Amino acid sequence: MTLVAASPNPPAAGQLALAVLLAAVGFFLLLPKPRGRSVAGGTAAVLAAAAVLGAWAHQRFGEPAPDWVGKLLFILFSTGAVGFGTVLVVQRNPARGAIAFAFVILSTCGLFLLLAAPFLMAATIIIYAGAIIVTFLFVLMLSAAGGPSDENDRTREPLLGSLAGFAFVGLILFTLSQTQDSVTPAAAADSADWKRLSPLPAPVLTPEERHTLAEVAGKLDEVGRDSFYGDPAVAGTTRQERMTLLTGIEQALEDVVGKEQGTVRPGSIESRLAGYRSDLQARAVLERAAAVRRLSDVLEKKVEPMVGDRAAGRPAEAQAEVRKLRDEVLLLHGAGDLPARNVGNLGLLLYADHLLAVELAGTLLLVATIGAVAIAHRKGAPR
Amino acid sequence: MITVWHYLVVAAVLFGIGLVGFLTRRNMITMFLCAEMMLQGVAINFAAFARYHGNLHGQVFVLFIVAVAACEAGIALALFLMLYRRAKTLDVSSWQELREVGVPPTVDTESLPPVPAEPADPQLSPAGRKPAPTAEETVRV
Amino acid sequence: MSDPLGLALTILGLLLAATVLTALLSGNAAVRTFVIALASPKAAAQFALRSELTINPLLVRAAHWPLIVACGASAVLAVQLLLTVAAAGDSVRFVSDPLTWFEAGKLKASFTFVVDPLSSIMLAMITFIATWIAIFSSGYMRDEHHRPDRGYVRYFAVMSLFVFSMCGLVLANNFLLLVGFWEGVGLCSYLLIGYYYDKPSAAAAARKAFLVTRLGDTGFILGIFLLWTLGGWHTDLTALFDHIQKNPPDTAALTTACLLIFCGAVGKSAQFPLYVWLPDAMEGPTPVSALIHAATMVTAGVYLVARCAPLFALVPDAQAVVAWIGGITAILAAFIALAQTDLKRVLAYSTVSQLGYMFLALGTMGAVAPVFAVTAAMFHLFTHAFFKALLFLASGSVMHAMGGVIDMRRFSGLRKVMPVTHLTFLCGAAALAGLPLLSGFWSKDMVLEALQLGAEGSHPHAGSFYLLLLVALVTAGMTAFYTFRAYFLTFWGEVRTPEEAGHHAHESPAVMTVPLLVLAVGAVGVGIVAEPFTHWFSGFLGHTPALQLAGRLAGAADVAHHFNWGLAGVSTLLALGGVGVAYMAYGTGGPERVPAPLEPVYALSRNKLYVDEIYYALVVKPAEWLAFMARVFDLFLDSLARLLAAVPRFVGNWVRPIQNGLVQFYALSMALGLAVFLSFVVFRISR
Repeated sequence: MTLVAASPNPPAAGQLALAVLLAAVGFFLLLPKPRGRSVAGGTAAVLAAAAVLGAWAHQRFGEPAPDWVGKLLFILFSTGAVGFGTVLVVQRNPARGAIAFAFVILSTCGLFLLLAAPFLMAATIIIYAGAIIVTFLFVLMLSAAGGPSDENDRTREPLLGSLAGFAFVGLILFTLSQTQDSVTPAAAADSADWKRLSPLPAPVLTPEERHTLAEVAGKLDEVGRDSFYGDPAVAGTTRQERMTLLTGIEQALEDVVGKEQGTVRPGSIESRLAGYRSDLQARAVLERAAAVRRLSDVLEKKVEPMVGDRAAGRPAEAQAEVRKLRDEVLLLHGAGDLPARNVGNLGLLLYADHLLAVELAGTLLLVATIGAVAIAHRKGAPR
Repeated sequence: MITVWHYLVVAAVLFGIGLVGFLTRRNMITMFLCAEMMLQGVAINFAAFARYHGNLHGQVFVLFIVAVAACEAGIALALFLMLYRRAKTLDVSSWQELREVGVPPTVDTESLPPVPAEPADPQLSPAGRKPAPTAEETVRV
Repeated sequence: MSDPLGLALTILGLLLAATVLTALLSGNAAVRTFVIALASPKAAAQFALRSELTINPLLVRAAHWPLIVACGASAVLAVQLLLTVAAAGDSVRFVSDPLTWFEAGKLKASFTFVVDPLSSIMLAMITFIATWIAIFSSGYMRDEHHRPDRGYVRYFAVMSLFVFSMCGLVLANNFLLLVGFWEGVGLCSYLLIGYYYDKPSAAAAARKAFLVTRLGDTGFILGIFLLWTLGGWHTDLTALFDHIQKNPPDTAALTTACLLIFCGAVGKSAQFPLYVWLPDAMEGPTPVSALIHAATMVTAGVYLVARCAPLFALVPDAQAVVAWIGGITAILAAFIALAQTDLKRVLAYSTVSQLGYMFLALGTMGAVAPVFAVTAAMFHLFTHAFFKALLFLASGSVMHAMGGVIDMRRFSGLRKVMPVTHLTFLCGAAALAGLPLLSGFWSKDMVLEALQLGAEGSHPHAGSFYLLLLVALVTAGMTAFYTFRAYFLTFWGEVRTPEEAGHHAHESPAVMTVPLLVLAVGAVGVGIVAEPFTHWFSGFLGHTPALQLAGRLAGAADVAHHFNWGLAGVSTLLALGGVGVAYMAYGTGGPERVPAPLEPVYALSRNKLYVDEIYYALVVKPAEWLAFMARVFDLFLDSLARLLAAVPRFVGNWVRPIQNGLVQFYALSMALGLAVFLSFVVFRISR
């Protein structure tokens, strides 16, 4: 009763329900049963479910990627993961299931790579390669060869199990779509009530702000050079041009980070993140923005007097300050993006922020090893 | 751009497939692999959120998941080995002693399909008498 | 060592050390027996049977030494303390530095001890009497083969603790500390009365003593907290009294507080209507009775009222209540004592009656100078301690020789068999009866005089004191009669002994007769030495600061104590008359003959005025009825609960097959449940 009424977009919910139903039926048909299974019907149903779900996702969340390479890779890896997962579940031969699992892992690792997690990709492949080989060994060692057996050719409650599992997935996806309705950060970033709607601080910077900051960094580069202070005739820029450059920079910085404490311009970083001061990332960005604001004074106080007259100030000092400002602007520009040095930063985080957890995980591994040895060593009396 | 939502959808579906497999399949090794697949779904979630938030905490979490999964694999496979030694089967339904007193055990009623008969080995026609070894051959041995 | 506080604390330390040492002597079996006995007497009996056999008999035989040595040393120290305090002059008080016990908001409890004439004289009296009782006990607590009794160690350990608690009570200068020792005394009396815990009547008597005194204690504690609110949130006695003196509270409230405090005294000192436990307390060993009646337990109430004199002096109504309770108790108990056949019971009722006398004296506190009233009460308490301890020990000696029989109808003419006991008993009886020149005579005279002065004064209740004076005089006559009735029945007439005594009924050993002789000398001489010619006792007590404060508060004129010939003559006549009547009735010994017209009165006295029966009908019966109704109600609740319990069992039977042992089925249920829950949450939120 509520399924339709609850959704602001009834057809989408119906689509989701259809996908769930199709997937459940498909799995029911595909799962091994003593009376045999219907591979063709099952595959068709599963494919139909995948199509419906894909359409739904496309409709709800939009095109996966504007660049077709990224889109292709994402579709490839996600289809691979889901498809091989399906194979793993419905395959009656566990050895083949293990191979399907290996492909699931590979696809997942591809997704990791797309998510800028190269180290995770490598680690997962290495660890699961070992795990899968060991599993394979077990399958070969323990499985009865050939003929039908209880464990491979019977399933426990195939219909109810599939229904329960996919209903669960359906509910999660429905929740996702409901949440997504209320917040689409990219779209809502410009609107005034972005703060009210978004339960998450990310992204901390809008693309426009990022762009402005990158431009400002380039201009500051120019201001930091010797030629900026030199003879206009030699440098090829007039005093007027230099002043324009400076005021442009000042204006841009004021737009992004605000002029000074106390006057918070609506829509600036300050005003947007004010509600998320408890969030670590938001706090870091706010501090960075404050640093930029503080340093931007240098332009007005030290650089401007020297624009026409080099002797009016101390150019070396001013240049150093400008460079510092430029670094800060660049740092602010990169805030909210993953750092480039994945492995190094991951290691830093592990041993700085999560040291206790690392130790605990190590202890857990040790205990598990001992436990495994102890269990496998025990000679249980055969029944 | 690929939003976090797409990854969340993939992760949820992966998790769900794993769940279905865990609920229905009776081979303990397949069940274990399905559980690992559910973990992979969760790992994708974490990685996606790490990307979304622009920090590495999510990836660190995935590392811990991998570590725990390794522990799980060690223990689980050892347990399978022991259980197999005792029951000579990997069927998880053969372990149902922990039921309420007086409840009859659950047994499978449907019979399995008959094993197709092995194709018979070709019968060779009888050969001739085996020749007696010669003296030379005896010496050579 | 002449520091009074040091001496007092040394005494406490010695007694505590004796307790611990005695307990250790038996290799802690005794300690464990106490602890178990607190929980369940039956389990303690089994434990004692098991453990006391294994105790080193040598150590058991020496178990009385710590108590005797500690008590003896304490007595010496207490006498030295007495002399020190006496030498220190007027208005002398030594208060120890407060050692905070706990502090909660306005409530502050601290360990403070006070040494002044009042407490030092009590201390000396307690330790002295206890020493001789301890020596007597070491002979009494053995069987005919001089083997120690089964609970020998336990007995002496508890005795030590008893004396320790009483000394602490006397020295305490803080109400909460005082309550602590007060309860310690109660606990020890419980343990000692229930010494033969395998005997149901002893266990019942112990319980009765504990519960009845507990009734009074409730009032006591309420009174303390009322005083705490009235007295500027002080619990220290001196500070409290000072505060009340400076800011006199509302009279009604103070009267209530005094009466509540008096409740505690009524329970502990066995006054009407809570006296019923004391006669039953005879179930304990006889030396315990001697200790309870003479030195430790029952004197606590008198001491408490004396110590609180600055409060009682302010409220005439409370004084009248004290006096009336004392008077009623005195005559009631004397009447009951007239016809008792149990020697120890006669003595027990006489104690109740004499305690009534003391409260009579205390009740005159506002009518005469408080110093005088308190001196009269304390002096009577002091002399009474000697002759009552003596009488009990002598009756214990009789009981020892008679093989445990104490019914006066079953023996007679013992003066030939037990000459020393006879002589000492006679001394005690004569002192109790108030025959001239003996200690009882002087102290009783002082009480009567206080009453007379009170009646002649301008006190609002002066009329009552006339009546109470008459009551006291009648009681004096009755006291002489029943005391000598017991004496004649026991020691005169032809020699008869019960078969339990065997053929060798004989005088007790020296370890028992020597204390008797010492106490007999005390009973005869202590009165005349202490007061009538030297006025040493009243002069000494008069130096107590608290009493002087009470005197200032009451505003009554200070009267010098003059020997009152008229009153003394009347009381002597009454005493001699009582003795004479007793001689005429019982002088020949033998069975009791009651003249026909007196038969109903005799029966009334014999049956203790049916007080126990009345209490049973008024208190116990309704309680039992209430308990029965509660049980019925409980049954109803039980059946209701069973009905409720049946529902889950039924549902459980119904859903039991779900628990089928299949892991995957459980996981499936979990997933389904999660899906349902999730859908509920999702659709509720999104709506």
